[in-house]
Amino acid sequence: MSTATSQRPVSARRKSGSGMYGRLGEGPMAYLMNVPALVVILSLIAFPIGYSFWLSLQRYNLKQPGLRRFLGLSNYIELFGDAAFRNSITVSAAFALVVVSMTIVMAMTAALVLNESFFGRGFLRSLILLPWAMPGVVNGLMWRWIFDAKVGALNGALASLGFIDSYQAWLTSPVAAFFIACVAEVWNILPLAVIILLAGLSTIPNELYDAARVDRANIVQRFQHVTLPWMLHPLLVVLILMTMTSFRAFDVVYVLTGGGPGDATNVIALQTARTAFAFTDFGRGNAYAYIITLVTLLISVIYISFLYRRGKVDV
Amino acid sequence: MRRRGLPWRKIVVYVLAAFFALWIILPFYWIIATSFMTEADALSTPPDWIPTNPTLDNYLAFIDPSGAGALLGSRAAEAIPYALLNSAVVASMTAVLNLALGISAAYAFARMKFRGSQVLLMVYLATRMVPGVAIIIPFYLVMRSLNLLDTYGALVLSYTTFALPFTIWILKDYFRTIPSEIEDAARVDGCSWWRMMRSVFLPIAAPGLVAAAIFSFMTAWNEFMFALYLTSTANAQTIPVIAANFATDLNVSFTSMAAAGVVAVIPPLILVLIFQRLIVHGLASGAVR
Repeated sequence: MSTATSQRPVSARRKSGSGMYGRLGEGPMAYLMNVPALVVILSLIAFPIGYSFWLSLQRYNLKQPGLRRFLGLSNYIELFGDAAFRNSITVSAAFALVVVSMTIVMAMTAALVLNESFFGRGFLRSLILLPWAMPGVVNGLMWRWIFDAKVGALNGALASLGFIDSYQAWLTSPVAAFFIACVAEVWNILPLAVIILLAGLSTIPNELYDAARVDRANIVQRFQHVTLPWMLHPLLVVLILMTMTSFRAFDVVYVLTGGGPGDATNVIALQTARTAFAFTDFGRGNAYAYIITLVTLLISVIYISFLYRRGKVDV
Repeated sequence: MRRRGLPWRKIVVYVLAAFFALWIILPFYWIIATSFMTEADALSTPPDWIPTNPTLDNYLAFIDPSGAGALLGSRAAEAIPYALLNSAVVASMTAVLNLALGISAAYAFARMKFRGSQVLLMVYLATRMVPGVAIIIPFYLVMRSLNLLDTYGALVLSYTTFALPFTIWILKDYFRTIPSEIEDAARVDGCSWWRMMRSVFLPIAAPGLVAAAIFSFMTAWNEFMFALYLTSTANAQTIPVIAANFATDLNVSFTSMAAAGVVAVIPPLILVLIFQRLIVHGLASGAVR
């Protein structure tokens, strides 16, 4: 959409550019116009990240202010021997893996369905957006109520259909609680994935399918040789966005399971917040936070460099 | 190409469409239905799938916590009106601040050619990737030393940092769809740059501005972690924080918990229903590129 206007003749661009922004000229003026946003972003993101690193090198517990001192990297070194940290990293990685694979499969299916014409398509297209509007906290409440051991809708439905004899305490089983948290997260983030994939599908020219039909390609072959290659880019975007979202999951898990039972759903964001705010261990909490930042940064660098190579980022 | 026999493709499409419709509607329906039930009906086994004795008591408790059947957990219910007000103020302020900061930056990217613009755009994109949990601890300490804890300021500032990069990207894309000839024409007519922006450019860009404002509003309305740790009283606690209290407080009834959830989801839901097309467009263009 942005390429349409950027193909104006150079002369027109020049004419509209020169002299329009006062004596400063275009370059400095453009920077001047970015100053307010840059000041806010640098002071509220770049500074905290630096400050966070500085704190992560210290022993710093609000309950023992007298003991604050510089430790070097030992907070980080200790992390590897810390069972709670190792567990939360494992939980987060497993959570991201399950959530992302479920989301990709479901979103691709939903996008393919919504790309067909059928009665009620408009309705379903509006409907699919709804979970995106739901605050994570409410989403957590909703699933907690559905999976409730005594009066949950799932127990009620399964029992009246004859699938179970007695009500199950879903959320007290570590394995079930983990997968319920995954389902709740998928419910919340699916709309974004569907919209991105649907936008991708709509750019595939129909002629390609016609040509494939002439070549007698069946529906599986058409998907494999026409749809998938075209969808690689949107799929990758979804993959990375969803990985990052699920890796930093907090609100759904906080409300649904609070990290339990035991530490079965104690994701890294929960562990970090707990270390810093419940145990007021700001030094170690920051070391946790830094590991998350590094992982996320790694993912985003891959993301950006991929887009950059594909020339998808224009200015 | 059509073979005889059952139209399998149609059947599969309808089955899947029904699955997705139920996947979205059923959980959603259940929390809404529960919010209109009496506590006794909600606790019955097997569950009543439709509220048999529909009641508004769970909602009325938010307005008058002592009356309306004196429900369990009336202290949590008392907090709801304040939380709604706090959320509305914080989200609106975030939206306005985002537009104020985002418009000029986006205009520069859309209309000017300058060295380093690629890098600058990447900086904005990269800040969008920083996870909240990575900056909440230093954020908390900074807000504490500025005496901003438990105020709107702390929340608005943190939400602006989340939403601003996205705002700039959306606006930049939208501004580029507006032909620059319109600005040239205004200039030829002798408009100053400021006047041209105010009376010509920004009105034309209104749909993009609305989309960006909705995104920032919803980011702020739905956010939980910063609200949880940066606020502590009714001064600034937002609706997700109060709704989470409903979940963790064992004295609160399921029905009032459901009502709190429904109240929290109404504003973003209305925005989504009204501005569906803008939102889909914004999400697709903001995320795909």
